[in-house]
Amino acid sequence: MLELLQQGFGAVFSLNILLLMAIGVAMGIVFGAVPGLSATMAVALCLPLTFTMGPQAGLSLLVALFIGATSGGLISAILLKIPGTPSSIATVFDGGPLMEQGQGVKALGVGIVFSFLGTIFSIAALMFIAPQLAKVALSFGPHEYFAIAVFSLTLIATLSAGSMVKGLFAGALGIAVSTIGIAPVEAVRRFTFGISELNGGFSMLTVMIGMFAVAEIIKLAETGRHAVQGKARSVSMKNIKGFGFSLKEFREQLPNAGRSGLIGLGIGILPGIGAGTSNLVSYIIAKKRAKDSDSYGKGNIGGVVASETANNAGIGGAMMPLMTLGIPGDTVTAIMLGGFLIHGIQPGPLLFVSQGPLVYTIFAALIVATVMMLFMEFYGLRLFIKLLDVPKHILLPIILVLCVVGAFGLSSRLFDVWSILLFGLLGYAFVKAGTPAAPFIIGFILGPMAETNLRRGLMLSDNNFMDFLTTPIAGTFLGLALAFVLWQVFSALRPKPSAINEILRT
Amino acid sequence: MSTLNKKELIIGVAMLGASIVYMVMAYRLPGHEGVDAATVPVLLAGLLSLLGVMQLFSAFGNKAQAAAETPSQLPDDSAEVAAPEIIEPKTVLKTLGLILGYMALLGPVGFPIMTAVYLYLQFIVLTPLNHKVRHPTYALIAVISSAVIYLLFREAFDLMLPPGLLNFL
Repeated sequence: MLELLQQGFGAVFSLNILLLMAIGVAMGIVFGAVPGLSATMAVALCLPLTFTMGPQAGLSLLVALFIGATSGGLISAILLKIPGTPSSIATVFDGGPLMEQGQGVKALGVGIVFSFLGTIFSIAALMFIAPQLAKVALSFGPHEYFAIAVFSLTLIATLSAGSMVKGLFAGALGIAVSTIGIAPVEAVRRFTFGISELNGGFSMLTVMIGMFAVAEIIKLAETGRHAVQGKARSVSMKNIKGFGFSLKEFREQLPNAGRSGLIGLGIGILPGIGAGTSNLVSYIIAKKRAKDSDSYGKGNIGGVVASETANNAGIGGAMMPLMTLGIPGDTVTAIMLGGFLIHGIQPGPLLFVSQGPLVYTIFAALIVATVMMLFMEFYGLRLFIKLLDVPKHILLPIILVLCVVGAFGLSSRLFDVWSILLFGLLGYAFVKAGTPAAPFIIGFILGPMAETNLRRGLMLSDNNFMDFLTTPIAGTFLGLALAFVLWQVFSALRPKPSAINEILRT
Repeated sequence: MSTLNKKELIIGVAMLGASIVYMVMAYRLPGHEGVDAATVPVLLAGLLSLLGVMQLFSAFGNKAQAAAETPSQLPDDSAEVAAPEIIEPKTVLKTLGLILGYMALLGPVGFPIMTAVYLYLQFIVLTPLNHKVRHPTYALIAVISSAVIYLLFREAFDLMLPPGLLNFL
């Protein structure tokens, strides 16, 4: 493993790739920091740029964007008291008050350093667990893959914000849209209406650009003219040693960080929920376990530590099912999956066997990008603060143009450009209906996988569905999926104020 | 009837409508003997319709509940929509119109010209009420962005965006 990792670092340490990654991290931080832009958007918009690069350079860039954007949310959370992404909601609780008390630099320093530690921790976990998981997954057949796809979809649909019915509907609709095009197994054309461009179905990237970027621009049009854009206050970096906090404070936070890291990693592995949930959960637990729990919410660095460690620890967690099973756990990893496929790489257990060096290049890129993030985010802070002031009405139209370029770049046809408008409208309708978009995306991606494996599994067992239930692993996952739905129905019937809902409401 | 329930009801109708359209299309697929390419779409259509019906029922359920309770006790979901925001459907329609026009003319007129025009107009449409529309600045940003994106992709990333009328460049 060390040898492979060495090779990986060797590949990443070329001037070309390092430069790309530095740009990627910086862009990612900007996308994370500006409220309304997201990690998903950053990766989706930059994916077309990687078409002409080799897989190593391309995937390193995407990884750098992912890390930068996950961490960048803390800048606006602390300076503007608006979370840049849902993954830094809990950072606002204590980061905001710290800023008001004139300790903004300390809050930022703590946030950035613990983001770094959380990410490194999760990458280490990824490097040790993923190869083992891949070995287990090698023995999986169609029954298991079908069951895991159904399980992931159920989880994401039931756990996404909003009602379970809407979440499940969004997931099922995603699968329905994925059935457009030539069917697996017997290659019948389905729902193409004679349009030859539809034979291959909608491209994954056009669906995602539409749902996340175009829908966002339409949403801005709705309220943007009345919204008051917060003005980011700058912080003085004079007389700041190190990262703005003392070693004693650092040591005191270590147990909290360790716990939050584990929570972030654990929640990150599960499909459907990730950094958006784990930062709140670890914040609540940190507050409960702290001796001075009264000071949480009034400017305790423990709150920033819990939230930022947890959300960044989700990175390694989310990469695990993606790399070992080819199943994306959230929307960012869904686009990463697109990035893998564009470079001709099929994520899954075989990836570790056939593309060992590339896997370790990705690991190395993750580590290098994390180190870059640590220094760039803290010492380049003033620049990022300036970028927060770029007016939205200038920024978002330019992003729409980049969306069009990205869609067109997929295969140089205007059909894809129209698709992003179609899915943009759908995404906007989802927003209006209070329906989460993530289950739709994951349904769209896992749909073909579920269908193909269902058909294969049925062929293997002479159209006897019982085999899906009697195979131990497949049966367990299907049982868990069912249990999840039942549990959600049960808890919906007996509404109990959960801690997360309480926090979200305030 | 509160607006919230009306909204949930409309969502339910839309969900059911989409499901029925999909179901009709799924049944028109060739096959339907044993397990074939039509199986999964038909099953999905069933699931979608079921969920649509459930949404309708829950909307009706809430309605009955809301009627029984005092007006101050809104159903749970109200917390999400409570934030009073001024919504401008006109700006949305203008934006959609601009995007539509941009995409339609992208092929014939070309990327460089259409992008500059689209950006300029879209900046104006989205300018916040407390900001002044600065025509020269907007025009400059629009032209520069368009040129930079076009040339960057053509020269650095080998992506030929539709040149349209500027084909001679």
